[in-house]
Amino acid sequence: MTFKLFNLLVQASVWTIGISAISIVIGFILALGLSAALLSARKLYRRPAEFFISFFRGVPLLVQLLLIYNLLPFIGLNVPSIVAAIVGMSLCTAAYQAENLRGGFESVPKGFIEAADMAGLSPRQIFMRIKAPIALRLTFPALVNEAIMILKSSSLVSVVGIVEITRMAQDLASSTYMPIEIFSSAAIIYLAICWIVAMTGKYVERSLPGAVK
Amino acid sequence: MLKRHFLKAAACAAFFLGASLSAHAEDILAKAKAAGTLKVGTETAFAPFDFIDAGTHSGLNVDLFAEIGKELGVKIEWVTLPWEGVLPGLEAGKFDVVAGPATITKARMERYRFTSPIAEATVAILKKAGAPISKPEDIAGKAVGVGKATAQLAQLTEFSATLPTKVDIREYPAFNDAYADMAAGRIVAVANSLPNIAFVAKQRAGMFEVVQPPFGKKTYFGYVGRKDADYAPLMDAIDAALIKMKGDGRMAKLQDKWFGTKFDTPDIVKEPAI
Amino acid sequence: MMFDPNVILRHMPEIMSGTAVTLALWITGMLLGVILGFIIATLRRYGSPLLDVPLGLIVEVLRGTPFLIQIFLVYYGGPFIGISLDPIPCGLLGLSIYAAAYYSEIFRAGYQAVPHGHFEAAECLGLSRLQIIRRILLPEMALIVLPPSVNLAVILLKESAVLSIITVPELTTTVSAIGSQEYAFLEAIFLLALIYWFIVEAAARLGRAAEARLSTYRFAAP
Repeated sequence: MTFKLFNLLVQASVWTIGISAISIVIGFILALGLSAALLSARKLYRRPAEFFISFFRGVPLLVQLLLIYNLLPFIGLNVPSIVAAIVGMSLCTAAYQAENLRGGFESVPKGFIEAADMAGLSPRQIFMRIKAPIALRLTFPALVNEAIMILKSSSLVSVVGIVEITRMAQDLASSTYMPIEIFSSAAIIYLAICWIVAMTGKYVERSLPGAVK
Repeated sequence: MLKRHFLKAAACAAFFLGASLSAHAEDILAKAKAAGTLKVGTETAFAPFDFIDAGTHSGLNVDLFAEIGKELGVKIEWVTLPWEGVLPGLEAGKFDVVAGPATITKARMERYRFTSPIAEATVAILKKAGAPISKPEDIAGKAVGVGKATAQLAQLTEFSATLPTKVDIREYPAFNDAYADMAAGRIVAVANSLPNIAFVAKQRAGMFEVVQPPFGKKTYFGYVGRKDADYAPLMDAIDAALIKMKGDGRMAKLQDKWFGTKFDTPDIVKEPAI
Repeated sequence: MMFDPNVILRHMPEIMSGTAVTLALWITGMLLGVILGFIIATLRRYGSPLLDVPLGLIVEVLRGTPFLIQIFLVYYGGPFIGISLDPIPCGLLGLSIYAAAYYSEIFRAGYQAVPHGHFEAAECLGLSRLQIIRRILLPEMALIVLPPSVNLAVILLKESAVLSIITVPELTTTVSAIGSQEYAFLEAIFLLALIYWFIVEAAARLGRAAEARLSTYRFAAP
């Protein structure tokens, strides 16, 4: 295991980190809309959101990626590999994040909302000042967990042609015949990334208002 | 609010749909020339055609397509997928042509258009050094690896049926995985085309050996494109470039560089043996 | 795109066998994972602290790396250290160990969530240690661990699709092979999505039913 091979794996991790980070952000934005739809009183909004979540949580990411990569061209959207990978991962994480957010919004104590209402806050103010901050605070640990899950799931995007850590490791292992060294190195790089995300998450969580110190 | 978003999304989708539909009507060669790039799909686990050499994509295909690119006046953009995803990708329009290459077979010719052949593809056996296999028939009853969804698999299956005891055929996502598994000792041999296994045997001298003679029927490797009319100018141009390179010796030089030997290939394969 | 149902009908036996392999791997992997995970969690809680640290480290490594990398390491790396497993046993081993890491964390949280007062109350009533485990600890834990266990089960089923990459003849492998053989790529992917979706929905519903049933014991009279 030479430094050069390890370096190639580290270079490939840029793809892993980049795709995961973008997907988490897009997924979060989608999840905000989805969770609002889930909590809506109207079936017209709730049903499609439930359907979306059920599908993207019910089908393996490997299959979702293949579906997006190969199916979209037939409806006229011929997206490149990188877009297919980001779309697939974003939709998948959106489904999981939406469930987390819904749980968060549901656990905002009713009393808080009643109190805010009594104090004369508008529904918009109640959402922005009370519901959203509390729900986000409550679901933050779940968001960090999800980020780690997505980082690990990104090992599958090679099926649509992205050479990230896992794919690079596979290519290197089959050309050098040193699978143990190469896959262990890849594992160490993943561990390091996940560890940094987890630690950053803990740090941010402690600095959020209302943290248990 | 949701409704407004939905309308926006629908408008965007309609725009993309329209944009890409109108693009489809154009001929692919003109489109590639206008963009300055030709998209070529392949897998990178098929040495010596395509492989990753210490992190860099290299092989005969890279060199040949660099020449084709010069002839056509376009840059080559590689899209690398697992082999199973390459032909679907071509059909989905993810790239303009497949480098693979693929064995020219009757069944595939019904669905795809092949370029002028670039090498022989006749299937033979690569064995682990020291394995008790001295002729192809000796693989009867043994574990032999081959790539999934390949013509080599079809040939091996056919050959296996003629043997007294069937071959224990193991299918791998890529031939590289099969070689790795042979090194690991789970299988004793790999069935693949002669140029491939000759290269691997040379790279891993002492580890793998080629079993002569080949057991498969004489076949050729070609690049794969679509039969649709808008692809015809591109395929014609690639054919012209390849035939030109066969004439001026560039093809022979590249074959010698990657295979250590030259193949006489016809300009066009009309009636494949399989 | 033309959807040809005949392709599916013609290959029904292979699709069924692929589904059977997936279900068998999933259920066995899950059971082994639960057992191993329970042992790990119990050793970490009641065993020596000398065990807790290395076990915790192993669990963290398994949870911090992609399943695919773990599988590659066992499948392609194993033979170099003398462990040469065929795809199916290798996949089963990989899935079980991966599952065990996550289940051990679920059980650990379960152990922590049973209030200490309940043990004290049981001791005051004169229950033996075994009785406390059987009557107090396990039933209370079951309520806590069931929902995350069902979630994990679903994740494991989906992760098992990754085993197609090491040629385990499971659902993804068989159906995508049919797809390339028949040039019915899209049909194959669609079919895969539908089958997984169906199994996941069925499992999730079963899990919810079990939760509902178990929760009736929450306030049951002793």
